[in-house]
This record gives sequence, C-alpha cells and structure tokens, in this order.
Amino acid sequence: MPHPPRRPSPPTLRRTLQTLLGLLTLPLALARAQEPAPPTTPGHGSYTIVHVAKSRRQTADHSKFKILQGPFKDSDGPAVTRACLTCHMKAAEQVMATSHWTWNVAKDGKDGFGKSTLLVNNYCIAIIGGNTEACARCHAGYGFKDKSFDFTKAENVDCLVCHDTTGDYEKEKAGLPNPGVSLAEVAQKVGAPTLKNCGVCHFFGGGGDATKHGDLDDTILKAPRTEDVHMSKQGAGMDCIDCHASDAHKVGGPNYVVPADRREQPKFAGESVSRMSCAACHSDSPHKSYILNRHYQKVACQTCHIPAYARGQQPTNTFWDWASAGRLKNGRGYKEEDANGFETYNSIHGEMIWARNVRPSYVWYNGNLNFTRLTDRITVPADGRVILNPAVGSYTDPNAKIWPFKFHEATQPFDPILQRFVAPYTAGPKGSGAYWGDWDWDVAIQKGMATAGLPYSGQHSFVKTSMLWPVTHMVAPKEQALACTECHKGNGLLAQVPGFYLLGRDHGTGVDLLGFGMILLTILGVGIHGFIRTTHGRH
Amino acid sequence: MRRVVLYEGFERFWHWAQALLILTMMLTGFEVRGLGLHLFGFQRAVALHNILAVSLLTLIVFAIFWHFTTGEWRQYIPTRKFLREMVAFYVTGIFKGAPHPVRKHRMAKLNPLQRIAYFGFKVLIIPVQVTTGALYYFYPNLQHSLGWPPAALWVIAVVHVLGAFGLVAFLIGHVYLTTTGHTPLTNIKAMLTGWEDLEDDAYFDEN
Repeated sequence: MPHPPRRPSPPTLRRTLQTLLGLLTLPLALARAQEPAPPTTPGHGSYTIVHVAKSRRQTADHSKFKILQGPFKDSDGPAVTRACLTCHMKAAEQVMATSHWTWNVAKDGKDGFGKSTLLVNNYCIAIIGGNTEACARCHAGYGFKDKSFDFTKAENVDCLVCHDTTGDYEKEKAGLPNPGVSLAEVAQKVGAPTLKNCGVCHFFGGGGDATKHGDLDDTILKAPRTEDVHMSKQGAGMDCIDCHASDAHKVGGPNYVVPADRREQPKFAGESVSRMSCAACHSDSPHKSYILNRHYQKVACQTCHIPAYARGQQPTNTFWDWASAGRLKNGRGYKEEDANGFETYNSIHGEMIWARNVRPSYVWYNGNLNFTRLTDRITVPADGRVILNPAVGSYTDPNAKIWPFKFHEATQPFDPILQRFVAPYTAGPKGSGAYWGDWDWDVAIQKGMATAGLPYSGQHSFVKTSMLWPVTHMVAPKEQALACTECHKGNGLLAQVPGFYLLGRDHGTGVDLLGFGMILLTILGVGIHGFIRTTHGRH
Repeated sequence: MRRVVLYEGFERFWHWAQALLILTMMLTGFEVRGLGLHLFGFQRAVALHNILAVSLLTLIVFAIFWHFTTGEWRQYIPTRKFLREMVAFYVTGIFKGAPHPVRKHRMAKLNPLQRIAYFGFKVLIIPVQVTTGALYYFYPNLQHSLGWPPAALWVIAVVHVLGAFGLVAFLIGHVYLTTTGHTPLTNIKAMLTGWEDLEDDAYFDEN
C-alpha cells in the first residue's frame, strides 16, 4: 500500500534549529561528498564483450588456406614464415625493423643499448659472452645462435610466437620451435596476440617466472581483479596490445630509449601509439577531487595506484648474489629451497632473495634510464654500489614525476683494472669453459669476453649493483590506492625523495618550535597575569 | 548606568562565525601539518580547510561591506589616546582594583589596545593568511606557469604556519582578556546577546 503523501508541517523551533545546524555543518557534508564511494560491483565484466568484439574483427579463417595445410617439417619455422609471407608480404620487413628482432637499440647517437649487444644487467648479466643460443629462446626469430645470425633473412622471422592462439607453440634453443609442436595446426589458428603470447617471454624475463619484472608474471593470466584491474578477466580483461598498441609491427613500449610516453591525450581519435600512458584512456583528471587531480603534475598514477608489486602468487627476485655462486657438494652444483619451493641458493646463480607484495621505491623519473654498457668505464662510488640504470629527473624537471620502482640488488663480476663490467660465458656444458659447466670465473669471463670481442684484463672482482625497474602493471582497485598520509607524514613513503616541500612531511622542527614557543609564552603570560589577578586584584 | 545594544546582530553573527571558522581551520590546518592531530583524516581535513577558507573569505567580504556601510570601521582606527593608561592598567592597575581608564561607548567600543590588536588582526594577520593560503593552494599552477622554485613553497608554508601559530596565540590572549570585565563572563555575555551595561558619558551622549 502506498504511503499517503507527506504534508509539509509548520516550521517549529526544532526544525529551525535543525536547519541552522545543517547550515553550520555544510562544509563537513561537502567534504564528505568528496570521499570516494565504495565499489558496488566486484568487476566490470567487460572481458567477454571485449573478446567477442575482437573475434568479430577476424575476416579470414586461416584454417581454410591451402598453403597452411602443411605438412611442415618438425621445427621448420622458416617454412611457416615463407607461407605467411605469400600473403602478408610486408610483415617480415616490418618486424625486422623492430627491437623484438634486432635486440639492439641506439640511444643519443650511441649504439649498443639492447640485449644482443653491449647492454649489461644484474640478473643473467649479458648474453653476448656466448649465451645467445640459450637466451634466444625469446628472440622473435629462428636460429639466433651467435654473432653469425643473419638479421636480414625474412624467413627467420618467427610469426607464430606472437600470433599463436592455441597455446601449444613453444620455442627452444636458438629460438627454434619445439619439434613436438604441430606447426600446421598452430599456423591455421593464428590471431592477434593475447596476454599469453607476450607473457611467454615477458613474464619470464631474467630466466624464470616473475624473476625480472616485479609487476609482470604468469599469475596475471588467472589473476583476481585485486591483482591487476586491467588484465584480470574479472577486471577489464585487457590484452597487452590494448595499451601497447602497435604500428607496423612496432609494439609500443619504452624500449630502453624512448621516454615513457607522457603525452596526455591521443593527437587524434584512434591514434594508436600513445595508449601507454594512463591518461590516454583515463584523461589527466580522472578524480572527483581537484587536489587529487593536480597530483598528476608531479606524481605518476602508478605511484598511488600500485601500492605494492608482486601481488600475485609468484614472488619476484630482489637479490641475486653472483659472488656466492659456485659452492659445490662432491664437485657438483646443488640447490637450496625455502619452504615455498623458491631457490635461496643455487650453485649456478649464488644466493637469491624472493619477495611478494613488495612496497616499491620512489624516484624522480622523466622516462629516461641511463643504462650501462659493457664498454662503459665505471667509477665505483664510495658506498661500493653501482646503479646500472639510474633514473633521470628531479622536481624541477617539467617532465619528471615521482615513480614507483622495483630495485633489484645484486653482486656481479667486474674488471677492476679496465673498470668495466664483464660478460661471462655461463650457459654451457662441462669442458666448454662455461661457468655452469666448469665453475671457473676466470675462464668463463675470458671466454665470454673473447666471444663478445671485448678486452679483459684477466682480473675480476665482484661489485654490488642495483637496477631500477619501473613498476607500471598490477594496478590495484582504487580502494587499495595509497592513502594521503602514506606520503603526507613525517616518515612516509616519500621520506627520501628530495627537492621539494611536502605537506605533512616537511614540518621543519625550527618553525614549529618557534610557533609552540610563541603559544607557550602567551599561555605563560596569561597564566601569570591571571594568577596575580585572582590572588591580588578585584577585577 | 544603562543597558544598550553594543553589538548588532550582524556583528555578533560575524564574530562567532569567524571564531568557529578560524577554530576549525586551526584544527584542520594543524592536522595536515602533521602535528599529531587526527580528527578528520588527512583528505577530509584538506578539503575542509579549503572549503572553510572560501567560507571565511565570503564572510570577510560581507563584514567589510558592513564595516563601511555602517561606518563601524572607524572604531578600529588605532589611537595613542589613553594608550599609556591602558598599558598601565593591565600591568599594574588591574591588580589594585583601579578603575578601567577608558569608558566604553556605543561609538567607541574598543579601548586603544583593542584597536591596535584588532586593527593588526584585520590588516596584517588575516591578509597574510589569506594571501599565503591562496599562494599555497595555487602553487602548482605558479610553479607550472611561472617556474616558481620549490623553495618558494617552503617560504609560503612557513609564513602561513607562523601566521597560524600567531592566531592561536592571539586567540589565547583574546579569550583571557574577555575575563577582565566586571565578572569573568560579562564580556562574553555581551558578545553573545549584544547587550551591555554602559556608564553614562556626557561627551559622547551630547555629540
């Protein structure tokens, strides 16, 4: 039964008082209105919609093409590529112009910023000291074994690793297909890359799941929305390429040299290359609060919205101690594992530390990381710790923001005479001189540097190194974003970030002492005056 | 002796609204400063502080209008007349039960010390707080468009905070001095009701 309409009652004293009270507390009510509303649904459910739409875009059924019927010989990837190129005749040419193929990048007119050349890291160190064949499992090509690889041969481009939709495709040494894979079947079911295609390499950087990137690992494929709102199928269900949009097979990405794209909005509707910044989809003012929006000028979205990395089941490697490698039991290498099955020691790597749910470190960053090459002369700083890729930026740099980073710590071999990092030959059998076969650093480095064609003094030491990895994936649901006082307090997350005044952090003790002194003196004066008045006076 | 309305309705509203606004701004301000207050929560304290600032500015605009249209602004012109006597009264006379050296009147409600204090409050403390507050709020824009260095924000913040501490000290002194009337509550009652008992004053009554 419907309620009878309410008749307005005559104004009473109570109502008047209520109105007045309401007016007085209006600012409070307004302030409360700015608080974010609690979420009403656990996910956006757009995954299915997005993927149905994506499958509709396919205009060709590759299983109907005669040329893809095969049979292809086991491991004969180039034969498949030749078939692809009969229709997609420009595809290989496009791929060969990208860093997925060259593994080399030039920066500021200097060559050698790429894994096939002189770049040095503090996980597996470098590949050019004879490790190419093992590492090229992740090369988008076939047969990359050593320097002799022909980077101009179109049929060596691996189309399938990015375009496989079956999940059965697998690469082995030198990037050749696993002989057990039915190439014809995979070739007939090609499509646009999904999370898995990128993930087979990018989730496993550094030699294992979650090892290198703290914000990318295999658990993302089955992640709940709380782990990654974008890629989780409970969340937006997005694929990598939805943000890392490609242009003529050049997949958008920071790529050692291109500053993280800070362009706020696409230049024109549908422009494909600018989607890597959050603002490309979310705009540069996504919050209801004007003050929160203004943080965008100096604080990366990731800083608040990725409160921790490695939030899935997989821990990420935070410390890799090459100096302790090579301990043997009965002349053989061995492993030690923690309760969760993660290696705390392996003779081939040394001691390792793995961590989940790690708070990032915060650093001014304008998109440039100054990477180190094997040919760069290094001055070891007083604290003995070399940062291999320091971030560029400061408060006064208009392009810099405070960014979250995974700091990866390590010790690694160094040539103290030539003051350079060295590339040891690590992955090889007994008798090859490889460290993992013969456990001799001198030989392994000698071999590695000879293969790389680089000088080596014959002496090595171990130095502490750090690497910075920008944290940008694993965006958390908004209710898990950092609260104001995580940073706006005395010993908060930004305690070490220099160059600017931060409310709540920088209450200089001198100023506050002066203020409190002023108040104390007033109280003292008033107290004495009042005391004399009450004991002596009449007023 | 006679009872008069010394403080008009708007004046009283202005006074108490301003008191409430400034008090809340003190609390929210010291909370975001990080001095150990946890009353509203940081985000709400910031929002509230800014909303209160706008409210206070609005109130000040009305108050300025009122001061000029009523001519009440003249009450705040500092004077040296009886200044020495007032100081002497607070330093010694008040303890001996000496009479108040200045009589209140409808046209001269404030003694010379009050005139100086409130004049300073109106033309110094409040403008400094309003200016530094606005500069603080718009600092990101100034930094962005005029290239103001980070040190500028520090200076702005320090001045704003010292102003705030000054306001607290002012408040303590102000509240204490209200108790120096006939009875400790006489002055506060007058400020609440508007009514005050005034002694007859031939000079003002005739002019």
